[in-house]
Amino acid sequence: MSRITVVAEKEVRQLFKSRNVMLSALIFVVVFGIFTIPAALGGMGEAGNAMDTLGFYLVLTLGIFMGYLFTAQVFLREKQSGVIETLLCTPLSLRELWSGKVAGVTIPATLLTYFSAALITGTATIFTGETLLPSLPVLFHIIIVVPAFIAATSGLIGFTQFMLGMRENQILNFGIIFGIIFLITFVRELAGPGFSVTWGVVAATGGLALLIILATTWLTRFLSRERIMVTLPE
Amino acid sequence: MEKGEIFGYLGPNGAGKTTTLRILLGLLSAASGSATVLGADLAKDDATRSRVGVLMENNGLYDQLTARENLVYYARLYEVSRPLDRVTDLLEFVGLTGREKDLVGNFSTGMKRKLGIARALLHRPEILFLDEPTSGLDPEAQHMVRELILRLSQAESMTVFLNSHNLDEVQRTCSRVAILHQGRIRALDSVRHLTSAGRKTGFSVTLADPGQAGKAMDILSSLEGIDEVARNENVLGIMLVSVPPHEIVAALVGNGILVEEARIQKRSLEEIYLDVMRQAEGGVA
Repeated sequence: MSRITVVAEKEVRQLFKSRNVMLSALIFVVVFGIFTIPAALGGMGEAGNAMDTLGFYLVLTLGIFMGYLFTAQVFLREKQSGVIETLLCTPLSLRELWSGKVAGVTIPATLLTYFSAALITGTATIFTGETLLPSLPVLFHIIIVVPAFIAATSGLIGFTQFMLGMRENQILNFGIIFGIIFLITFVRELAGPGFSVTWGVVAATGGLALLIILATTWLTRFLSRERIMVTLPE
Repeated sequence: MEKGEIFGYLGPNGAGKTTTLRILLGLLSAASGSATVLGADLAKDDATRSRVGVLMENNGLYDQLTARENLVYYARLYEVSRPLDRVTDLLEFVGLTGREKDLVGNFSTGMKRKLGIARALLHRPEILFLDEPTSGLDPEAQHMVRELILRLSQAESMTVFLNSHNLDEVQRTCSRVAILHQGRIRALDSVRHLTSAGRKTGFSVTLADPGQAGKAMDILSSLEGIDEVARNENVLGIMLVSVPPHEIVAALVGNGILVEEARIQKRSLEEIYLDVMRQAEGGVA
């Protein structure tokens, strides 16, 4: 078993044991997966197309938020508790540590996002009275692109959490929350009644995720044990 | 450091003990010079890090995981062969058998420290770095940790670097010590040498006849290499600087003084430490 897998397995196990975090995530999924759907569907024209639009942006946004929520637990908490100092003394390379943690965030965040997609589909079906299933591009988007996006954003956030001090991270957290709210609003405006999710849109989104992953992987070469140590809280 | 020795790194809070440890472990870079452990710079050498065990003040444990899950995680990171067996053995070694399925978050400070020691030993390190291992522990747990350290050194020839400001602990466990003050080593020697043959040696002479005390004081005052002489009835307390104790006895006996007993007074590590601190504060290196 590679060290990346060992780290990822531990992070997944630890996240599922963190009841408060999992409860927050579930509440978020249920609130957005059930209560916002009727209003969202109402403003998006034809039901099938509206379902696709929801599957495209809402599931993506939820996935990113799940990733963000878990990243704080996986990356930041070890810095706060000081456990990271011991980890840095193991034979783990920083790239392995980072990769394992990103995988450890992505797996549970993806599972919850799949659950939210199922919830959205079920709620929309009940609300409209007809069976609404996402189109093939949206299905591909949900199954492949969204996890890639979760990995990309979690990797980037985790990297910055490793690099920055606690105060900077608090500011960053506010920035991310406002960024997600802005993203939801922006995409919702963009995805009006005339908007349809095509393979091209899905490919562009996946490409962006890939770009972020590659850029962050490259950036991890600037991570150092010393950088992490000097940004630990006193 | 010599293989198998327990090396004490002493100093007051803020002296730079933990910083030195972090530099040695490759977590911080030195402002000048370099640091190597087992011949390697741990900041760059992932493989050598697997030969080093570390117990920092926070134990490196996860509260949400059980004792066994914590140890298995680290055992896999170090690629320990047959990790489950090793974990079982170490839990027994530190006296935590039966608590392996309990969450670490529910452990007492002492139990966490025991588990931290087990964690640090998982991969059978050649050298073990301990940062204040008995800090925050009750006397019984402190005793247990000291016993563990001694057992590791004696039974497994493990080299131990012990960061501490607990002088009693260092005197009981370490073979050699360095005393640090404001980032500089002010003393470096074996505990035996420091406590029995330091810069000054305490020496007491008990006279058979208290009436000879005055004459004995006069003889001692005329000798060179004596820093201080004090009298308490028939016992003379002498602080030697550069004269060996047997010469004192010879001088007294040669002048007709009846010596009943002569004894070298070992200085405690605490006295030496305070002496070094005072000298350092006074600007004497």
